[in-house]
Amino acid sequence: MTYAAVVKAARSRFEASGAEPVNPAYILPSDIPLELSGEAVRARLCVFTDHRGNEMVMRPDLTLPVAGLEAERLASGTNGPKAYCYAAEAFRLPAADGDPMEFTQVGFERFGRESDPTEDAEAFALVHEAVRDCGVVPVAIATGDLAIFPAFIDALGLPRVTADLLKRAFRQEGGVRALVEASPAPIEADLVPTLEAATPEEAETAFRAALAERGIPLIGTRSVPEIIAGLRARAAALAAGGVPDKVREVIGALAAVNCTAAEAADQLDAIAVKYSLPRTSSAIDRVARRMELIRELLPEVKAICRFRSGFGRRFTYYDGFLFETLGANLAESRPIASGGRYDGLVSGLSNGKANATAIGGVVRPDRVLRAKGRGA
Amino acid sequence: MTRLSLAIPSKGRLKEKSEEWLASAGFPVTQIGGERGYQAEIAGLGDVEMRLLSAREIAQGLVDGSLHAGVTGEDLLHDLAPVGESDFEVVKRLGFGGADVIVAVPQAWVDVDTMSDLEAAGAAFRKAHHRRLRVATKYMRLTRRFFAARSVGEYRLVESAGATEAAPTTGSADVIVDITSTGATLKANGLKILTDGLILKSEAVFAISPGAAWSAEAKASLGVLFAGAAIKPKELIEKI
Repeated sequence: MTYAAVVKAARSRFEASGAEPVNPAYILPSDIPLELSGEAVRARLCVFTDHRGNEMVMRPDLTLPVAGLEAERLASGTNGPKAYCYAAEAFRLPAADGDPMEFTQVGFERFGRESDPTEDAEAFALVHEAVRDCGVVPVAIATGDLAIFPAFIDALGLPRVTADLLKRAFRQEGGVRALVEASPAPIEADLVPTLEAATPEEAETAFRAALAERGIPLIGTRSVPEIIAGLRARAAALAAGGVPDKVREVIGALAAVNCTAAEAADQLDAIAVKYSLPRTSSAIDRVARRMELIRELLPEVKAICRFRSGFGRRFTYYDGFLFETLGANLAESRPIASGGRYDGLVSGLSNGKANATAIGGVVRPDRVLRAKGRGA
Repeated sequence: MTRLSLAIPSKGRLKEKSEEWLASAGFPVTQIGGERGYQAEIAGLGDVEMRLLSAREIAQGLVDGSLHAGVTGEDLLHDLAPVGESDFEVVKRLGFGGADVIVAVPQAWVDVDTMSDLEAAGAAFRKAHHRRLRVATKYMRLTRRFFAARSVGEYRLVESAGATEAAPTTGSADVIVDITSTGATLKANGLKILTDGLILKSEAVFAISPGAAWSAEAKASLGVLFAGAAIKPKELIEKI
């Protein structure tokens, strides 16, 4: 198959699913990826400055601008499920020498359907069928579910501040280790009156008095109530005595889950049972049900499909099921196809004005050719 | 570039100290065109292209391979190297130009003493202001790597052209990543260093570029410099 034939094969599969072909904006304000995903993604963004000095980026994938289209459509008052597909270029700075800066993604994005195991399995099957249409046989499929870690943290009943910190740290390169090992610092004596004040006004007065006593200027864009709220959160973490041993053990056990996808739900369930965390059951059931459906649709993937609990934790806007399909001749960091669920993205892009469940997947034709032993 | 292309900083204390170091090794530098010229000659190394550049240009030249060797700040090498330490090779730490690259926040932030406190404050800030907390710095890569390794994601970088320590007072950013030797400037600007906010203890270094085109002639000149400066050359010269 030629490159063009591979593109056509994958695109035809997605078009046949009823998705509308689109080619959205190439150029986005850098705020879109950076405010959404944080500076960690900047290392891979093709950034430039326009004539007025505004920072812009070349689209790093098609998911972002397509989700932007959907947010606009919803904001204009049109409702109901919608699916888009594309065969279009995206641009990223190389992570390693030899990575192309410009590459084609053939993919689809589906919005507003039920966020359930059936839809997860259908989207997965659609990508898998597109890969098959390209004439390539995957050597492995890695899967994960980014809803699992938050579900376990929520089930542990931690103070909200600590739970939120752990969930965010899980998505960062450094992970949660430093957090679970840290011990909260005590509150200094001159700040106790701020915490003990009866009203917000009195707290603010006490806080300003403490700053004046220390000779500290009030600078920066955080307001006094925000700083006091931070101080209260710290006092709450201190009162809770840091991260309990049980939490450390659960996080450790969760991090060790790396098994065939068929075993995943049982392994997660064993952790939930051992540490008495029944509130995790709906998230675990979803992992189990999804895999059953995938095996019904595609019996041949059972042997090559794996599950890892930390898989995809740094894939910025994904928040549920996700997967990567690996081919021959290519490193694990260069999947031939990938996809996942991102139910929070449309809301994030539109500052909460629009909301839609979302799942999508892409095929990389250049890598498909590599996996078939052709092309560079 | 067949000749050894060697650079030292073009002005200030870094320049004087670099010249002293080379002179004490037996290779005095003389400037062409008087004190204000940017061309120079170095004695005792054979035919060498001696250049006076800003420390940042020297670090960039070593990283991209347009210079063979030079004196510059470790902070700049680490910041300008896209891949990291494989992009340059520090041959000798020179014991001058010492300064720390640190993370500092307003002293008024009594709830923020550590990087994880900063992460929590950043997340709350984003909820309240619908934008990320801004971090001003000249060290874009160093900052991004350090924050990522410490699991701090709730921030935006603002590239600072100078006087970074003033950013929180003027409101262009709340947090800074900057270089400091005594901390006095930070203090005067109402800032404090986070307890785990030391990114790098930097000093002036003599470094070489593994990625530059090394001719036999350039290697020979470097060998003479190594001998004069009492640097054990064998292992390093094999690397290039």
